[in-house]
Amino acid sequence: MTRDIHAYLAEFEDIPGTRVYTAARARKGYWLNQFAMSLMKPENRNRWKQDEEAYLADWKLSDEQRDAVLARDYNKMLELGGNIYFLAKIFSTDGLSFVQAVSSMTGMSVEEYQQMMAAGGRAPEGVRSIEGKY
Amino acid sequence: MARLTAGIATSHVPLLGVGIDQGKMEQDYFRPIYAGYDWTKEWIAKPENRPDVVILVYNDHASAFDMNLIPTFAIGCAEEFAPADEGWGPRPVPTVNNDADLAWHIAQSCILDEFDMTIINKMDVDHGLTVPLSLMFGRPEAWPCKVVPLAVNVVTYPPPTGNRCWMLGEAIARAIESYPEQLNVQIWGTGGMSHQLQGPRAGLINQEWDRRFLDELTKNPQRLRGLPHIEYLREAGSEGIEMVMWLIMRGALNARVKELHRHYHVPASNTAVGHIVLENEA
Ligand SMILES: [Fe+2]
Repeated sequence: MTRDIHAYLAEFEDIPGTRVYTAARARKGYWLNQFAMSLMKPENRNRWKQDEEAYLADWKLSDEQRDAVLARDYNKMLELGGNIYFLAKIFSTDGLSFVQAVSSMTGMSVEEYQQMMAAGGRAPEGVRSIEGKY
Repeated sequence: MARLTAGIATSHVPLLGVGIDQGKMEQDYFRPIYAGYDWTKEWIAKPENRPDVVILVYNDHASAFDMNLIPTFAIGCAEEFAPADEGWGPRPVPTVNNDADLAWHIAQSCILDEFDMTIINKMDVDHGLTVPLSLMFGRPEAWPCKVVPLAVNVVTYPPPTGNRCWMLGEAIARAIESYPEQLNVQIWGTGGMSHQLQGPRAGLINQEWDRRFLDELTKNPQRLRGLPHIEYLREAGSEGIEMVMWLIMRGALNARVKELHRHYHVPASNTAVGHIVLENEA
């Protein structure tokens, strides 16, 4: 089965409010994700909690990535190559649940987001395609 | 000979493991979710249905695999696998015992069948694998069957196509058929259904799409086989892509299957919960 890799990748950019974890993002976010992964070890979490900036100095993050991590700006981290399953180690270390962390990316409060989920979630209408507006 | 008798699909939402581990199953939020598994728990506990081995298709969520190693299809071949520490201590669930003879047989058969499997010995298994076991078996001292972990990359793009997943399922079925021991084998596909955990579009749920997916697993699986990744992403959310793993399960079963049970509930955490039990018809 032949596929046009360029068309395949281009379509991902047409989904509103979504950063698909493509190879390009994975390359850009390598150290960001590896740093996040390091927080799975309790001894690393302790060092991180004591001094975040000092901990980050051991990892080859760009200035932008470092600022986004310190600000817990998850949308920015996604844009800079973070993947949500890796970034989950950061918000888990902060004691946040998936719902709490995920809602922070939507511009809604945790309560508003939970209400939306309880009412059946975000409807797909209008958020499937930027170009097609459907 | 080993026989593949049934396929089960289920979401593997981490919160559903937490609810069981912390004894919250009777709480209002959880009760309707777990109630949909009561039928299956009863069915699978009957001696004639209880599997000797489950081929458990799941994905690792940055637990065992970091960005240094991204196998598309990895089969666990060690004797046992411990529950992973995902950042708040390992789940208090039993160690997973493998049928390593069968796992190695499947690995070898699939490779000769032109599926270049990655073989894993040391690996901790995360909620993707342990939550489905808890949903079907509750909280036993030891899991009542052997489990062959089959980890699929659905995190870094591109994941395998639905068609490729289907074909791997077929190859696994051929491997099971050629295994000389008398075993009742099931295959489980896990993950999904619609959910998105990232970005301003997070929280997306598409009940209509999910329900059609469930319908067509039995009635029209050939259409599902051809769905492109972009459709999962647009319609079922960025993490809805996990449903390609259900097609490994479906591809392994016969063309004709009988739907024994189905459950669908929104939401659990950020996710639409889907579950189906399919029996192989001769
Ligand atoms: Fe998952």
